[in-house]
Amino acid sequence: MGKFWTVRIASVVAALAGCFIFQTVATNLGNDYYLRLFLLAGLYVTLSVSLNLINGITGQFSIGHAAFYMIGAYTAGILTRAYYEQQPLLPELWLVIMMLAGGLFAALAGLLVGLPSLRLKGDYLAIVTLGFGEIIRIVATNQQSVGGSYGFSFGPKVVAPWMVCLLAIITIAICRNLLKSAHGLPFLAVREDEIAASAMGVNVTKTKVAAFVLGSALAGAAGAILALNEGYLNPDIFKMDVSFLILTMVVLGGTGSITGSALAAIFLFLTIEIPRNIQTADGQKVQITLASLLMAGLAIAIAISLLRKIKDHFHGPPNQRLIRNLGVIGGSIAGAIVLSMILNATTVMGDKTFEFDKLRMVILSIMLLVVMLLRPQGVLAHHEFSWDFVKRLFRKDHDDKAEVAS
Amino acid sequence: MENLLYVWAGLEFNFSTLPQQLVNGLITGAIYALIALGYTMVYGVLRLINFAHGEVFMLGGYVALFVSWGFGFSPEALQKNPDAQSSALILVIMILVAMAACALIGAIIEYFAYRPMRNQSRIAALITAIGVSLFLQYAGQIFLPNSPPPSIAQQVNPYQENLKFDLISAPKETRDAYTAAKTESDNLKQQFETALNGRSQFDDTLTDAEKALGTQAQEAQNKVSALEGEIAQKSVGVTITVGKLIMLVTVIVLMLILRFLVMATPAGRAMRAVSHDFESASLMGINVNKVITFTFMLGSALAGAGAMMLVTFEGTAIHPFFGLQLGVKAFVAAVLGGIGNIPGAVLGGFLMGLAETLVVWAGYSNYKDAVAFVILIVVLLLKPGGILGSSKVEKV
Amino acid sequence: MSESPLLKLDQATIQFGGLIAVNNVSFELNKGDLFGLIGPNGAGKTTCFNIITGVYKPTSGKIFFRGRDISGVPSNKIAQEGICRTFQNIRLFQALSVLENVVVGGFLRHKTGLFSGLTLLPNAIKETDHLREEAMKLLEVVNLSHVANHRSADLPYGMQRRLEIARAMATQPDLLLLDEPAAGMNPQEKDELKEVVYRIRDEFDKTVLLIEHDMKFVMGLCERIFVLDRGLEIAHGPPEDIRSNPKVIEAYLGEPV
Ligand SMILES: Nc1ncnc2c1ncn2[C@@H]1O[C@H](COP(=O)(O)OP(=O)(O)O)[C@@H](O)[C@H]1O
Ligand SMILES: [Mg+2]
Repeated sequence: MGKFWTVRIASVVAALAGCFIFQTVATNLGNDYYLRLFLLAGLYVTLSVSLNLINGITGQFSIGHAAFYMIGAYTAGILTRAYYEQQPLLPELWLVIMMLAGGLFAALAGLLVGLPSLRLKGDYLAIVTLGFGEIIRIVATNQQSVGGSYGFSFGPKVVAPWMVCLLAIITIAICRNLLKSAHGLPFLAVREDEIAASAMGVNVTKTKVAAFVLGSALAGAAGAILALNEGYLNPDIFKMDVSFLILTMVVLGGTGSITGSALAAIFLFLTIEIPRNIQTADGQKVQITLASLLMAGLAIAIAISLLRKIKDHFHGPPNQRLIRNLGVIGGSIAGAIVLSMILNATTVMGDKTFEFDKLRMVILSIMLLVVMLLRPQGVLAHHEFSWDFVKRLFRKDHDDKAEVAS
Repeated sequence: MENLLYVWAGLEFNFSTLPQQLVNGLITGAIYALIALGYTMVYGVLRLINFAHGEVFMLGGYVALFVSWGFGFSPEALQKNPDAQSSALILVIMILVAMAACALIGAIIEYFAYRPMRNQSRIAALITAIGVSLFLQYAGQIFLPNSPPPSIAQQVNPYQENLKFDLISAPKETRDAYTAAKTESDNLKQQFETALNGRSQFDDTLTDAEKALGTQAQEAQNKVSALEGEIAQKSVGVTITVGKLIMLVTVIVLMLILRFLVMATPAGRAMRAVSHDFESASLMGINVNKVITFTFMLGSALAGAGAMMLVTFEGTAIHPFFGLQLGVKAFVAAVLGGIGNIPGAVLGGFLMGLAETLVVWAGYSNYKDAVAFVILIVVLLLKPGGILGSSKVEKV
Repeated sequence: MSESPLLKLDQATIQFGGLIAVNNVSFELNKGDLFGLIGPNGAGKTTCFNIITGVYKPTSGKIFFRGRDISGVPSNKIAQEGICRTFQNIRLFQALSVLENVVVGGFLRHKTGLFSGLTLLPNAIKETDHLREEAMKLLEVVNLSHVANHRSADLPYGMQRRLEIARAMATQPDLLLLDEPAAGMNPQEKDELKEVVYRIRDEFDKTVLLIEHDMKFVMGLCERIFVLDRGLEIAHGPPEDIRSNPKVIEAYLGEPV
């Protein structure tokens, strides 16, 4: 018992220290834009890990997570506009209250979607969750009380990076604890086989609803942070694309892997946000020529098909395989660069150019496709990222199955 | 007849516009049905929601646009030669090229994106479909002309005149008054123009009598307009452009052709077999790959036809994202009718179109786009298999 | 003894479209029975299991467990009542480890709340450890403790069947339903399985209802046998009677074996 509390207190202290570091780093970036990126990346960690609870751990294919994010945000925005003036509190305390409120309302929405969806499986559920998100957005767009499509603003703005970090840590901790205790097993069992789970006495309904409620509540809390951080909301912030982005994060990280979702959230968010702001030395937006773009597309296509060939037909040792994979990737990149340089020099394809930041969503979609075609179980698959995992990755021969044969 | 205006529960239902709305609903529904067929057929053989179907549709619209540009209807060409004449032949070529191009695009998507996912989980396949859809939208945003959204209906569609069908005419006295007023107005106008004899209406040399004649003509004209308005209000009728009528007929013809293909050809039979039982069909020596390609091509061609007609006859402006919402609605239509079920898709499409226009008619046009999802959720909760579909229990 | 039967099917019937998969089937099981349910392919045996365990609701007729009507009660409630089953087409939780599969079975007796799990409070940890220990013991019974940490999907077929039995046993049922537990096993594995079934009945005090195709296996194992053909009862009694029953012979010879 003594050991338990030591460990528990140590991890809480570590979490708080993490929040403190996050806060310090965020406030010392010295640039509002970077601060915002930092915050949003943190929120996406929460969103992605909470969707992973529904999708990856419980296996319920929800693709409208932005709806719960939006409900949390709008709840916080509306309540702040209505009550903060009358009851000015310490802004941070108000933020916590708003997170609870946002979480609560999002959880109710999760219940609303979760309950009827129990009868639906897989792709049907997917489309219902997507539809739910759209309905919420259309309703908000038509509510003049929240400014319709122009949105509405409210005060005070509460910029609290530590809270972003804390929420992400809480979300990750909840999911990890769930998987560490036997309480996580019914969730996994529902994902694996509902009929068998039910035959083993698992209340499938309750489990699914619990996952939906929990996942939505966390997304709602993230929405509340977003709302108070921005001081302004409109329905377009929560378009379908946001849902797809969160989904891509979960898929890329490996459905079911908590660390995978978290890392993928940061990685993907930066991948699509950085192009927005890359500028040339003289402050111009980066332009890409048609030739470079086409060559990049070609290189990706060739690389995918070669990598798939290796995946399906190469059965040598893993390090050989890795070398081949890297060779293909390097070769395609080099080939694309050389070819596009030649083409750009000869201007065969004209000098039409495109702004690089328009490519963000294209990059996202290509990434989604590449993952699905090469590693549909996600980069980390169902593994968790840990030193053990890294070591295992680099061990010469890690054939798990060899021992099982008997 | 009274002006049919009812107030019920705070809503104002103007029943005199109902028939027109129903016809509009039928036309929108026809397009939904055409797209829904693509979803339903693919779902039938692969159990996959082909998210990218809406984008195939979008590309079909662009193909039609480009073909029309090829015939001299591009913005630049029209500036030089604004009186370019369109013809039925051009429209036929547009629809055929759009259908062929879409069939090809559908087959390519199937081959490169979906085929590798065939033995992955259904969820993985669905994510791939979402990826393809996003890719086509955003790559389209880069490569395709989209601002301002191009519309080709004005120039290319030679069938713009209205056909009017009166269901309930305005009272006889009003119509008589209108005819009388019209004759008088025409008369006065004639007189005035003769008097003007080429001078402008505001010319200084106009005498007082001539000016008075002008005022008189103007008043008569106003009276005609007022009566016109009254007739419009008191009569119940339906107006439809010839183009839209052609569109409706074409949709029905396409559906009949599809029915023939599916029911009476070997390829169609193979398709039905695969959709009934994928495993057994492949064991029975059916070339499943061929059937799937065929299905994709068929569905995509229908989408191409729908897109071409929508941009030409409805005049919808196209942009790379316009397949998204239409696609989702058509998918809902397919689910409503019972996904995997071909007559179901047609029924669902028409019902969706009607439901949407009814919502507009009831004064909720802002919520038009939400209707689809509300219907979807209600259907899935009450009858998950859809209207004509059957919900199968999993064998244990 | 006037004790009421543990399980009683009373004219249970289920119809799928035009097909009556189980037609007016009635039988009774007493505590401690080792009861066999046999019949040619498609006879409706698995469907019987499905209506007993609440996967399907019988179209008509009733099912009583310990005298209580359980027809139409959801699956998970039935597991809690004390009936658990294995599946003919193995339905393990494939991505989970062997041990975890069994812990899922034991989880229905959990006492701590979800909150304890989410915050990993000491009582949840203790309970988890306890369930693991229990599961380990069951794995020993079915001879799988050496692969406890392997992914269950990676196990060979025979082991997967035994794992299903352990998983069902973990719910601590009074009545265990085994759907073709020996299918795909070699003779040696079958003998081992027979031992396991006896142990379950005698040591763990369970009642066992099993479906099996292998006549030799059933005849040697079960004390009473019920024969089903095309949904209908064709015979019912001790193995000796069944063996010589002309109807049974006809039903089995009617299909190529
Ligand atoms: N969910 C279902 N829907 C339709 N038919 C079913 C279903 N489940 C079982 N059947 C049919 O019921 C009959 C009996 O099946 P089953 O009980 O599995 O036979 P067995 O005796 O071999 O276990 C079979 O013809 C089967 O096809
Ligand atoms: Mg069976």
